[in-house]
Amino acid sequence: MIVATALGAAAIGATLGLFFAANARLKSANADSARAARVSAAAFDLRTQVIELSQAIHGVVERTDSGALARWHVAEAAWVPSAAALARAAAGNTDQKRRVEALRTEIRSYISDYGEPLVQIASVSPSAARSSAANTEGATRLQQIVGDTVGVARAAALDAAERSAAASGLAHQATVAGIVALVLTPILLILLGIWLARLVAEPLRQTVAAASSVAAGDFDVRLDERRRDEFGALAGAFNAMTESLRTSRRELVERAESLERSERHKSELITMVSHEVRTPLASVLGFTRLLLEREVTEAERRRYLEIVDAEATRLASLVSDFLDARLIEEGRFALRREPFDLGALVREQAELTLAHDEAHELDLQLPDEPLRVDGDRARLAQVVGNVLSNAVKYSPGGGRITVGAAASSGHARVWVADEGDGIPPEHRAQLFEPFYRGGAAAAGIPGTGLGLAVSRRIVEAHDGQIGFDPLDRGTRFWFDLPLEAGNGNGR
Amino acid sequence: MAAHTLRPLILICDDELPLRELIKAVLGDGYEYLEAEDADQAEAVLSRYEPEAIVLDVMLPGRSGLEFLSELRARPRERPIPVVVVSAWQSAQDAKAALGAGADAFVGKPFDPKELASVVETLIAA
Repeated sequence: MIVATALGAAAIGATLGLFFAANARLKSANADSARAARVSAAAFDLRTQVIELSQAIHGVVERTDSGALARWHVAEAAWVPSAAALARAAAGNTDQKRRVEALRTEIRSYISDYGEPLVQIASVSPSAARSSAANTEGATRLQQIVGDTVGVARAAALDAAERSAAASGLAHQATVAGIVALVLTPILLILLGIWLARLVAEPLRQTVAAASSVAAGDFDVRLDERRRDEFGALAGAFNAMTESLRTSRRELVERAESLERSERHKSELITMVSHEVRTPLASVLGFTRLLLEREVTEAERRRYLEIVDAEATRLASLVSDFLDARLIEEGRFALRREPFDLGALVREQAELTLAHDEAHELDLQLPDEPLRVDGDRARLAQVVGNVLSNAVKYSPGGGRITVGAAASSGHARVWVADEGDGIPPEHRAQLFEPFYRGGAAAAGIPGTGLGLAVSRRIVEAHDGQIGFDPLDRGTRFWFDLPLEAGNGNGR
Repeated sequence: MAAHTLRPLILICDDELPLRELIKAVLGDGYEYLEAEDADQAEAVLSRYEPEAIVLDVMLPGRSGLEFLSELRARPRERPIPVVVVSAWQSAQDAKAALGAGADAFVGKPFDPKELASVVETLIAA
């Protein structure tokens, strides 16, 4: 911006400078012309004086009148100031100065070598003087001197004419420069104005537009930060502001979504719990009323009471499971660690879960050697049981359930794979969130949505990891636990 | 054989064994019972038998009771089978959904034995 302003000012300055320089040279040319005129005038004056000298000599020699000698003495003195005036006028021009000096020497020698001897001879013998004057020397010298004065005058006039022509040319140039400056200055000013407008107004307009977009809620606008001036700095600050707004809004949206999700999970949970509780409750209440209202046989009475007992027990364990799950999910539990064989635990749980399940085929893949881990056996049994019951619940069509355990690089891995419908991609990310049940509630699959959340807590409390891999058919859940020291690979 | 023809046939579709037992006990010896644990089993039963009434649970594994009911009602039958929907969901909205799917009656869980017995009796008599 500063550079451009300087360039504009320099352009105007140069134009004006040209104009003033031309003007100054015109003035000096006029002065030269005047001086040349003075030289010319002084040269003609000197010429007159020289002619007067020659006529005075002629007067003395011919004795034409009584005042001839006096006239000679006047003329002899009169040419000196004229020559001096000419020398002054020609002082500014070396060539003219030289010519004038030569002329003065010539005049002096004309007087001393020709005029004065002739005047003295005339005073002694006028006839001798007349015969001497009759020779051509005086006329030749006079002609030479007159010719030289005319030469000086002519040279000065010529020089004056040349300078006048040059001055006139310069005057023309100065006029052109002036006109150019007059035309160029406003154009330059307009260009400078346009340029300044673009420099200042355009980024300002962009900033205003961007600010309006932000006000309208669009935080994705960005200004060009590449400029090195104040607008670049402004754009930087503006972009930082929109970035910060964008981040805040994203956080708010995420928080709102997470709240909404957790609310939805909670309401699904309440529905689920009420259903889970109501089913056994319906049996307990129904059979109790039957017993109260009807006459039943002893065998029927016993059968009904057994069902009531079983269902009431189921209710009690449901409530305690739910409380337990909540405490674990909240991290309020302690591990009772002991070394045990994880392979044996997996076998127990698999057989327990699938013993009376005719729809599923169990494929057990356990190592020959024990997999010793240091952990809470009951809690880990809960994890294995949960993953197994999920495999059963989420493959209602039956199929093979592969349950395995193996050691690998310091870890014990347990896996359970089913051949069910699998987990739709949209439910995968939230699978381990408490109360999240995906499409299970809609599909009528019972559960609290706490099983996997609780399992993850328990596995992580053992410094392990839990996860799942979608299969072509079904899903494989797995978890890793650190092997107990002294039970590494092959040891 | 005579007793068989006299006693009306009722299909009970509920995945909970104790509830099927309860429904049978509540309705008593006056009926003959067919049982199904889910919609697929119920469909299989219906392909072979013509029950007088169906007692249907909503929350079934796989297809829900109401989905099954809608499909049943979509297939034209010589004589539509009366259906009682028994559900742990017992809000007015749930009852409306059940009746909308084609149920003839709706009974919430836990239910009063006398109420269920009288509902089934009425439907079969109609």
